[in-house]
Amino acid sequence: MTPNHLLKTLLLAVAFMAPGTLHAQAPAEAEKKDYIMPHVLNGHELAIPSFGHGLEREIHLPRWAPIQIGGLTLDLSPSKHVVMLWISGALCLLVMVAAARGAAKAHAAGRPAKGLAGAVEAMVLYLRNDVILPNVGHHGEKYVAYCLSAFFMVLFCNLLGLFPYMATATGNISVTATLAVLSFLVIEIAGMRALGMGYINTIVWWPRDLPFAVKAPVTLIMTPVEILGKFTKPFALAMRLFANMTAGHIAVLALVGMIFTFAQMLNYSPAAYGAALIPVALSTAIMGLEVFVSFLQAFIFMLLTAVFIGQIRESHH
Amino acid sequence: MRLLKLTIASLAGLIATAAPLFSQAGEHAATATEAAKPGLLTVDGGLMFWTLIVFAAIFTILAKYAFPLILGAVQAREAALTKALEEARADREAAAKLLAEHQAKIEAARGEAQKFIADGRATAETMKSTMLEETRKQQAELLERAKRDIESEKSAAIAELRREAVGLAISAAGKVIEKNLDDAQNRKLVEGFLAGLKQ
Repeated sequence: MTPNHLLKTLLLAVAFMAPGTLHAQAPAEAEKKDYIMPHVLNGHELAIPSFGHGLEREIHLPRWAPIQIGGLTLDLSPSKHVVMLWISGALCLLVMVAAARGAAKAHAAGRPAKGLAGAVEAMVLYLRNDVILPNVGHHGEKYVAYCLSAFFMVLFCNLLGLFPYMATATGNISVTATLAVLSFLVIEIAGMRALGMGYINTIVWWPRDLPFAVKAPVTLIMTPVEILGKFTKPFALAMRLFANMTAGHIAVLALVGMIFTFAQMLNYSPAAYGAALIPVALSTAIMGLEVFVSFLQAFIFMLLTAVFIGQIRESHH
Repeated sequence: MRLLKLTIASLAGLIATAAPLFSQAGEHAATATEAAKPGLLTVDGGLMFWTLIVFAAIFTILAKYAFPLILGAVQAREAALTKALEEARADREAAAKLLAEHQAKIEAARGEAQKFIADGRATAETMKSTMLEETRKQQAELLERAKRDIESEKSAAIAELRREAVGLAISAAGKVIEKNLDDAQNRKLVEGFLAGLKQ
């Protein structure tokens, strides 16, 4: 990457955050290249390490012909986020199964699990005993596997996006929406199983202990609210995860872009290297925050799913 | 039942209304290369499909090969705990039953012992009284016999003394009046005197 290219990156970073200023400041910039959005968005190119010119090289992923199912056209070709899903899924399976085996072997030998196995065991035990079971309520054992799977899949996707050359699949609304739809189905099925016919009360608000004259209008008002509530919960799940992951990456990229703004402002003098320390320090801090946010968002996704399952199972009107 | 069917129908309706969105998304992705670039909120049907596949793989494999291994020990411990509690409750009940039984037995034994002691005391009492009675009787008998012996000895001694006295008197009187009196006549006289003396 030439300094000129990098400078343009930075300008785009600024442009993304404040479009108004770009027009005022740089009408002369004829050719603009957006470095941030292609990184955050899905695409059919993959960045791989390269030491020829620059540090990365783009390879084009194969395109498959879309398949037609009824009125539905599905393009199943592996885009960047699909590849990231595969990698993080494979890593998740590898790490979890290896850790589980390590933990089981340690238990069989009568000693506590150490290292990765110990860490994974501690996480799984904490989430099951102190987060999932207390929130889901009595006989919540059936929902433990779903909640833990969702947690670890989201966690591995989040963390994979922090590595160089990688992208965050959970920063794509399609991925988070699919996971949220799965949570929605699990929540509603949990409600049907726990309440039986009483499940209808979670759609139609019908309090038994009110007189009919009060009940009828309140039901008319509350039923749409109840139905809306069913869909806002998974919608919020999808949006929260997507927005958090995307925002973090944009913040880091914008801070990195600032290095080149400073360079241009200082006319590429040696002082520019000193000035670069500020964005480097800031983006390092944000990256550290991102590691924490990766865990936090995976935890929140799982926690809220467990809370919603518990809510619908407890809701006796 | 009708309400449940209605619910299912409404859910199916919702999915049906959402289907065009999916197909739209698919078409969008298919034409994305040439024309419009995907935005932040573009729904990508293919990516959704792959998400489902990856999640299904993670869920099935982890639920079978990872979580049971990690949670197995905990679940076994929980099961053992509930079993131990159950057993403890049963044991406590059995112990309480045994204790009640033993207490009943001890109570019975104590009653029996009391009875034995009372019996012994009564026997001792009767034995004492009978022995005392017997001793008293024997004593009285001995006393009686001694009295009787003394009496007979006394009368024998009196008779002996009388006979001796008669002999002495005769011999003394004979010495005094030896000449005049023949023996037979005098004896009659003295005896007459003695008879008068006796009265």
